[in-house]
Amino acid sequence: MQGLGLQLVKPHAEITEVWPRDGRVRLVGRIHGRPADGYWRLLLTRRGRAGHRLDYPAQVKGDRFESELLIADLAAAADTAEVEEWDIHLTDGEAELRAGRRLDDVHGKKKIMVFPEQRIHGLSVRPYYTVKDNLSLKCRTGAAT
Amino acid sequence: MTVHQIRQVRQIRTRPKVRYLLLHAYGRGGTIRTVMNQANSLVQAGWEVELVSALRRRDDIQFPLDPRVTVTTVVDEREEAYTPPSGVAGRWLGWRRGRLTEQPARHVPAGEFGHRYFNRYVEQRLIAYLSSLRDGILVTTRPALNFLAAEHATGGVVRVAQEHMNHGTHKHDVQKRIRETYPRFDAVAVLTDRDREEYERLLPGTRVVRIPNAVHSLDQVPSDHRSKIAVAAGRLFPQKGFDLLIPAWAKLVETYPDWQLRIYGSGEKKAELRALIEEHHLYNHVFLMGHTDRLDDELAKASFYVLSSRFEGLPMVMIEAMSHSLPVVGFDCPTGPSDVLTHGVDGLLVPPEDPDALADAMAKLMGDQALRADMGVAAVLTAASYGPDAVHPRWEALFGELHELHEHHERHGLAEQGHRAAGAAKGQRA
Repeated sequence: MQGLGLQLVKPHAEITEVWPRDGRVRLVGRIHGRPADGYWRLLLTRRGRAGHRLDYPAQVKGDRFESELLIADLAAAADTAEVEEWDIHLTDGEAELRAGRRLDDVHGKKKIMVFPEQRIHGLSVRPYYTVKDNLSLKCRTGAAT
Repeated sequence: MTVHQIRQVRQIRTRPKVRYLLLHAYGRGGTIRTVMNQANSLVQAGWEVELVSALRRRDDIQFPLDPRVTVTTVVDEREEAYTPPSGVAGRWLGWRRGRLTEQPARHVPAGEFGHRYFNRYVEQRLIAYLSSLRDGILVTTRPALNFLAAEHATGGVVRVAQEHMNHGTHKHDVQKRIRETYPRFDAVAVLTDRDREEYERLLPGTRVVRIPNAVHSLDQVPSDHRSKIAVAAGRLFPQKGFDLLIPAWAKLVETYPDWQLRIYGSGEKKAELRALIEEHHLYNHVFLMGHTDRLDDELAKASFYVLSSRFEGLPMVMIEAMSHSLPVVGFDCPTGPSDVLTHGVDGLLVPPEDPDALADAMAKLMGDQALRADMGVAAVLTAASYGPDAVHPRWEALFGELHELHEHHERHGLAEQGHRAAGAAKGQRA
């Protein structure tokens, strides 16, 4: 039953670990539903602002991937918006696989799998799961809370 | 047999109405859940049962309750339940209610953990309710309510005090009131043998019975012990010791990185526990799951249960976990775990409040699926004696017996008392 269930989930980058530490966010996971060979990069796209993109190299071994992004880059890319959100993907240049955690049994990850916030150069950044269990970054300027 | 005698026989055989007085029947605590299980069993066995909620702060009951069980409220504290009073008398009553609500309780000692829910208004309304009871059986379910019932439910109702916490965890002012007032009860019901011995010593001459709480069902899906999930559950509150469990898990995360700890429950310490998870960098391994309506399903998915409490009465969720074939790792805290568990058979008990020892015991189960399975089988057998069929007939027997005794006293004792009262009155006049 479970095997059948897995096949029905769309190709995506299944996140298993999120490590917001030392000015970085390191991500570990598995490429799901698409051959993992080729050259992969971590891709951040700013929600609602086409063309705002950041990308980083990803190490892929079998279907396991690992990559990390720098908070300082988000701070440099920030403009006057009080809150901005970045969506996380993995891309091999053709497909853009959304990062998320969809293969386990935990419902409502937004409130359950909660990660610490890091503050760099006046920008507070926190990785979070969306209501659809995708992984995004929330960046806030202004006073720390 | 005269008609009078026949009526008396029928009265004895008629079951009395049972009223349970709860602080908040609309809440989610273990006591509430247990009392609802008892009420469901009694009503299914043909008894008339009413739940009386001292307060009401929510619209809906949170646990399954048989629709034949009636629920009433003494003080409704929901905002929408309050209609601004009209007329001079109404305004005066409204003003008086407000004034009494601001005054602290007089009959509930400050050391009662529920003290903050009481005030003069709640007390006065409860006293009026308790004084109005004339028949049946009244079961009060926490010290504050027990104290009020001991002094004010004196109109002819049979009284049973339930203690859901072990005696040692009560503050001194509460223990003092227990010694002063509990002898007035027809029976004091406790959860463990250790407590029964202690209350018998404290209350000589008072009937003390030990009836454990029952799990809601023994017909549960067993764990297959293959998942790498440990479960803990309870209110996010210092008593439950999750602040000890999180550092214990931190010691294991490198050796067992695939394992998850899922903590079910909500409560006032959530932010602190979240901070502790962040401090130990456990945000990929320890999850505050929040409240769930489907704890049974979650237990069935786990491989073992952890009890990190500083103290307990009788840990019901632990016994429920055992009914899912989950072995238990727990602190040997007062009282409860060791009354249920046998170390090395259906679980592992370690010295209380010792995170290192807790971590070692969890590691032992994490590294050995066969051990988890063996202990899981033993756990199901242990849980069987806490099934509704094993426990609820004991309440029926107690209530039946107390009622019969009461009827007997009414018939024989009251006549004597009547003579004495008449005699005294004559004496006064002479």
